[in-house]
Amino acid sequence: MDSIYLDYAAATPLDASVLQAMEPYFTELFYNPSSSYLAAKKVRQDVEEARARVAHWLGAKPGEVIFTAGATESISLAINGVMRNYPKCEVLALAIEHDAVLATTKQYNHALIPVKPDGALDVDAFKKMLTDKTVLVSVGYANNEIGTIQNLKDIATILQEARRLRQLKNINLPLYLHTDASQAYYLDLHVSRLGVDLLTLNGAKMYGPKQTGVLFVKTGLELAPLHIGGGQERGLRSGTENVAGCIGLATALDICQTNRKEEIVHLNILRQELERRILQALPQIQVNGSQKKRLPSILHLSWPNIDGERLLMLLDERGVMASTGAACAANKDTKSQVLQAIGLDQSLAQGSLRLSLGRPTTPSQIQDASTRIIQAVKEC
Amino acid sequence: MTRVYVGMSGGVDSSVSAALLKQQGHDVTGVYMKNWTQDLPGMKCPWAGDLADAKRVAVQLGIPFKVFDFQTEYKQKVVDYMIAEYQAGRTPNPDVMCNQEVKFKVFLDAALADGAEKIATGHYAQVGVFEGVSALLTAVDAAKDQTYFLYRITEAALAKTIFPLGGLTKPEVRQKAAALGLATAVKKDSQGICFVGKVGIKDFLQQYVHAKPGDVVDKKTNKILGQHDGAIFYTFGQRHGLGVGGGLPYYVVGKDMAKNIVYVTTNLNDENLWRDELELAHLHWINGAPQPGVTYQVRMRYRAPLIKCKITKISESGLRLKLEDPERAITPGQSAVIYDGNRVAGGGIVV
Repeated sequence: MDSIYLDYAAATPLDASVLQAMEPYFTELFYNPSSSYLAAKKVRQDVEEARARVAHWLGAKPGEVIFTAGATESISLAINGVMRNYPKCEVLALAIEHDAVLATTKQYNHALIPVKPDGALDVDAFKKMLTDKTVLVSVGYANNEIGTIQNLKDIATILQEARRLRQLKNINLPLYLHTDASQAYYLDLHVSRLGVDLLTLNGAKMYGPKQTGVLFVKTGLELAPLHIGGGQERGLRSGTENVAGCIGLATALDICQTNRKEEIVHLNILRQELERRILQALPQIQVNGSQKKRLPSILHLSWPNIDGERLLMLLDERGVMASTGAACAANKDTKSQVLQAIGLDQSLAQGSLRLSLGRPTTPSQIQDASTRIIQAVKEC
Repeated sequence: MTRVYVGMSGGVDSSVSAALLKQQGHDVTGVYMKNWTQDLPGMKCPWAGDLADAKRVAVQLGIPFKVFDFQTEYKQKVVDYMIAEYQAGRTPNPDVMCNQEVKFKVFLDAALADGAEKIATGHYAQVGVFEGVSALLTAVDAAKDQTYFLYRITEAALAKTIFPLGGLTKPEVRQKAAALGLATAVKKDSQGICFVGKVGIKDFLQQYVHAKPGDVVDKKTNKILGQHDGAIFYTFGQRHGLGVGGGLPYYVVGKDMAKNIVYVTTNLNDENLWRDELELAHLHWINGAPQPGVTYQVRMRYRAPLIKCKITKISESGLRLKLEDPERAITPGQSAVIYDGNRVAGGGIVV
């Protein structure tokens, strides 16, 4: 029995061409990019070229791209970086953000923006929550559990209006929008079209190396660095560059963005097929997340009165690797924040399954997986 | 076919117990007992891994699986007991209490109420039935025998209990787990007191007991040799960690809890360190009290060798025991378990 991996939202395999692009930088091109000899200057050039490639896909200036050691660090730099400069002000985060955002946000004056049952930001509630003390709003581009895509442009427009009103009131505080785009690597990442000031990317989710990330920092936005030292990455992220990682992330993003439309079609067809097959056999299922604006790679399902953890194990026995939203099924206190925020009933939240598809997923895998999932649910 | 609820901790022993019962054709349900644990900063659910392992084995075996929440009972009967005993200067045995109060009382009752006919655990012990009377017998694997922890079980509970591993050795259990491909086959055995976790007993107690520094006194000379950080942390016979250096090693031979003094000696033959007589309280007998004058065997700690003994005085509340040979560091609070051959008669707590 072939095993079928349906947890691409958790980790992706390194693309072969990404590995190939990285390899020289572990050995013959090992030099410190800050060194003065020509061989090192060549490495510096390669890092800057990688930065420019990332900037290209973001529609940003290369100087606005900061390489980090992963999305958690990017998020930490964005939120801590702003809030340390405005410690008495307030940060708003969407209630369904990843723990990296929520835990960081909770260190400061903060409030969580509620979502609608489909996971979309509640615009009316959000407008009322914005105060003249708000300096940062963090809204994930696409949710990692249920896949709902936020309308960042609309949120940015609301912030633009809030900024205008502040000017009229002679309030000098800035108001920034950060988005965690870790799961959105095949969507449009153009920062000016999205209207964001800070954007996080995650190499590990896009067939790049783990522990690599990017933070886009709009020109003029001042961040307090998390740690200081050699002054690399415009002083925001000291430490010798992870050259192979920078090259790997840029290469991975190139592949994702170049083929992003085909990728979306590929994922959409497979996800629809998976959804259709499972729903046909098991009609009592609830599909979570927005039906209109949802990542094509994610299918999040709930069954009443099923133990999601047990289902996962049954699937594992049948060679299907997936994930559940409810992290700690038997502990009533720690159900998924996302499922809580979308108002999912406890008995449904316990019986949740997240299937996330990826570039290597094939139609025959989807056929086999749906058969095995249907069987497992019936046995659960 | 019996309807059996097997306590599954997520370890290899209880996993194999469940597997064996299933193979024997019983109607088996796995139960994870959620006992009290301390919340440690940065860790959401420290027990989640064990629960997941237990559940995974249940899935592999194709048996139903339930979680019974005994946090309240466990905290009261086991954790609070342990803290109180340490505060009184004794060295308690929480595993004994856990078996008496939780596994073979609360769990048994809950399982029966839920429809079970019998319960099972992964203990290395055996149940023998003689003319309708259930007795607790030692395991075939003498090195793993866990009857020391089980002596406070009741006959009524034994009658409803299966110990599927009693006839197996530990290596055989591991082999069985591997042959069945159980997820827990190569999992390390748990060590120490589960709810104390990784912090260690001293750090654990310090959160509940306000310990004060006191004197370490030489029992012979009455001279103050140094300071300790709280008499409750010291156990009879203990050699290390006294903070008195140089010369011959010192051993703890007594504590004065009221004065917060720890008495030590360099005399390896100290009369308190080696005793051939002891008194037990809080007696418990599984099939009735043993007889004075008859030769039995007693075990003073888990896996310690059996020592020949005779009961010199016995009542409802206590007994006096004479050992054939003197035993080192008989520790108040620990259990002394009396064996009649391979049958566990019962025992009590060292006074």
